[in-house]
Amino acid sequence: MGLIERTGLPAIQPVKFILNWGRKYSLWAMNFGLACCAIELIATSMPKHDFIRLGVIPFAHGPRQADLLVVAGTVTDKMAPALKRVYDQMPDPKYVISFGSCSNCGGPYWDSYSVTKGVDQIIPVDVFVPGCPPRPEALLQGIIKLQEKIAGEDIREKWSGKLTGAPASR
Amino acid sequence: MASSPGPLPPAEVVRRLRAQFGEDLLDAAEVHGEAVVKVSPARYRELVQMLRDDPELGFDFLDFVSAVDRKEEGLELVVQLYSTAHRHRARVKVGCDTEEPRVPTIHDLYPGANWHERETWELFGIDFEGHPQLVKLILPEPFEGHPLRKDFVLMSRVAKPWPGEEKAEGEEGE
Repeated sequence: MGLIERTGLPAIQPVKFILNWGRKYSLWAMNFGLACCAIELIATSMPKHDFIRLGVIPFAHGPRQADLLVVAGTVTDKMAPALKRVYDQMPDPKYVISFGSCSNCGGPYWDSYSVTKGVDQIIPVDVFVPGCPPRPEALLQGIIKLQEKIAGEDIREKWSGKLTGAPASR
Repeated sequence: MASSPGPLPPAEVVRRLRAQFGEDLLDAAEVHGEAVVKVSPARYRELVQMLRDDPELGFDFLDFVSAVDRKEEGLELVVQLYSTAHRHRARVKVGCDTEEPRVPTIHDLYPGANWHERETWELFGIDFEGHPQLVKLILPEPFEGHPLRKDFVLMSRVAKPWPGEEKAEGEEGE
């Protein structure tokens, strides 16, 4: 731990590459399935689409063992504090994929009195996957996008708290 | 309960209620093969009790409690009942005062009504007299207002009108 925080070691290109390579192919996913998107998320973890081949391990037994939070489904204002709590319990470095229109922006419930219009109001999101619900392939692409982001990351910057997960291109 | 006498015709259910409640049975109809009756708030509890306790009516199962906002005509409480012995259904409607909607609770007749009444209370603002615990069930604690009332303002629609607004108005023809 001290090596990464106090020395210039992670800035050395091969070390940085190996650290990021290790993290991007061992993402323990925390399942936060809330609606029909959860079915697609589970389908992605099953043999046909099989996101284990991308290094995503389904599913962590609790937030304290997880690296990746996949918010799949409709987050309501009542559920929002629970989501924030799960996110806070996850150890750094942690990543969030917002899966589906509801968690991206409210989706079909854009005018509802109870639905949170976008989880990025509560927690920082790395990758947004559009769709209602998105197909498993869309999540696979979202994971690849996230891995591209991790590959270019500076772990010291990530741990310093300056990077709070600025939204990626998708 | 052991022998199943079969469903009572809706007209017969209405006839028995009419005999007991007379003028207080404000409206009665048959919809989709089930009796739909409207009763005054004062005798609503009594009517539900009769539906439950009369052995030939025997409505022993409460399906749901909800409400409808009829705008100028006020809020309307809806109670759906089912008889597991006779396999027939009945719907009881109660017209409420718009300003201060208030009906007696039936949670002591049907324990299942407890949460249904809490939900109806928070979503429509109907006060259930005698309910042991009228606190929010599904809305977050700081929520203000009764979101299933027609006059509830949806903030998102204030910012951006609903795209289907014109069509809906034309269809209503009010």
